[in-house]
Amino acid sequence: MTGEHVSAQVLAAYAEERLTDGDAESVEAHLDSCDACRASLPPSEEVQRVVANVALALDDRLSTPGRVPPATGWRRVRVLVSAAPAVRAAWLLSVLVTGLLTLGLAVSPRTLPPWVLLLVAPALPVVGTALSYGPRTDPLHEVVAGTPQGGLRIVLWRTLAVLTVAMPAVVLAAVVTGISTPLLWMLPGAALTAGTLALGSLIEPTYAAAVVAGAWAVVVLAPPVGGLVVVAASAPAWLAVTGVAVVVLYARRERVGRQAG
Amino acid sequence: MTTVSVAGLQVSYGKRVVLDDLAIELGVGVHGLLGPNGAGKTTLMRVLATVLRPDRGEVRLLGRRIDDRVGLRQARRRLGYLPQAFGFYPRFTVREFVEYFAWLREMPAARIPLAVDRAIERVGLLDRADDRMKHLSGGMLRRAGIAQAIVNDPRVLLLDEPTAGLDPEQRVEFRTLLRELGCDAVVLVSTHLVEDVAAACARVSLVDDGRLVFAGRPEELIAAGGDGDSGDSPIERGYTAVLRGARQVSR
Repeated sequence: MTGEHVSAQVLAAYAEERLTDGDAESVEAHLDSCDACRASLPPSEEVQRVVANVALALDDRLSTPGRVPPATGWRRVRVLVSAAPAVRAAWLLSVLVTGLLTLGLAVSPRTLPPWVLLLVAPALPVVGTALSYGPRTDPLHEVVAGTPQGGLRIVLWRTLAVLTVAMPAVVLAAVVTGISTPLLWMLPGAALTAGTLALGSLIEPTYAAAVVAGAWAVVVLAPPVGGLVVVAASAPAWLAVTGVAVVVLYARRERVGRQAG
Repeated sequence: MTTVSVAGLQVSYGKRVVLDDLAIELGVGVHGLLGPNGAGKTTLMRVLATVLRPDRGEVRLLGRRIDDRVGLRQARRRLGYLPQAFGFYPRFTVREFVEYFAWLREMPAARIPLAVDRAIERVGLLDRADDRMKHLSGGMLRRAGIAQAIVNDPRVLLLDEPTAGLDPEQRVEFRTLLRELGCDAVVLVSTHLVEDVAAACARVSLVDDGRLVFAGRPEELIAAGGDGDSGDSPIERGYTAVLRGARQVSR
């Protein structure tokens, strides 16, 4: 006990019935005469249950304070998807970049060779994904990270938001360049995105995106392995990369979207 | 169990030790967390908010350890947290902002709309509920931040410098809200305004240099001060006296 009052530690021990009978008796004697200590006694689980039930019952009867909007699934999806402003930046980026490159390609394939589009388009979802979460780009990262839906779940929602816009851009790029089929362009896009998420559980998402985008550039540009063959003939390899990334992501799901430290 | 208990907590950033073998017990009620800048208040808040993993030590929220996945998720559902510095999504309305966090804290979907409006009402922002966040003043943003922290009726509520940016009238209203919340939840308020503690808190903890140097009631902190101590109010004199005492011991 500190001074005249019972310390928080002793009170907690008393509430959890960890005190000896003698100590409990002297705490009770003090509680009888001290409002302040009585007020800081934690309510028992039974009392908490009763209070929660009463609160639930009252909730339905009390008048609503304002114009309460209905809880529709559509509203939830809209709020979720529009949550990270950086997602919008990523959308804009995807559409703009692909649009410009496509236009350039249409005007003159010589000044703008198709491999530029191959280099850029599948990397767009990577950049978008990295922009949409993490302490650097999400202004509410700190609060979001402390919620049960915080980590992987919210990151996947935002990735989905990015992919819905970036993937059509990738397909468009495939159609314009005429290299291989659009589906085969989407495979490296998916692999790179999954890779970014997986790596983002180990290092900061922006760095993860830089590493993945750099690796992609090497694959596309390096003479021995690279070039346009990358898309045409390596679907199994991209599927394998995606698979490995998903496994890593699942194994480290608790670390995704949260700060290391 | 509605308690927070921390033992042997150690956190370092690189070589600098921020929290050093810190132990603290919090029961139901409003607790003030005082201390000089850089004492480790925000770091302690972040550990309790489950956003920072300590290097060492045991943290129990609501009687459960938070190092296993199930315990952590359950604790997070009953947790409310307002960081010292927080941004916002400029195009969100206040209602959408609070709703977003109600969803993130896994409240039952049917209860969310009403809970959102109640939380906004409690911080006095109901008439601005449909305004976009970018059109709010600093004090209003802070109150919107408090609304998201209380929307899930948290059992453990962590508020890091919640009165920054509030005008005197709002601060008085906020203290009333604090006392209401403290009836059945553990409320930990970190502040550098010693007067806020005297007015609203049932217990005070004082952290200096990563250690807990005082835990008790505001009256006990006041009693620690003498006429010779610097400060404009009795509690400020108590604060400086305890700090000086702790620093002499550690030397």
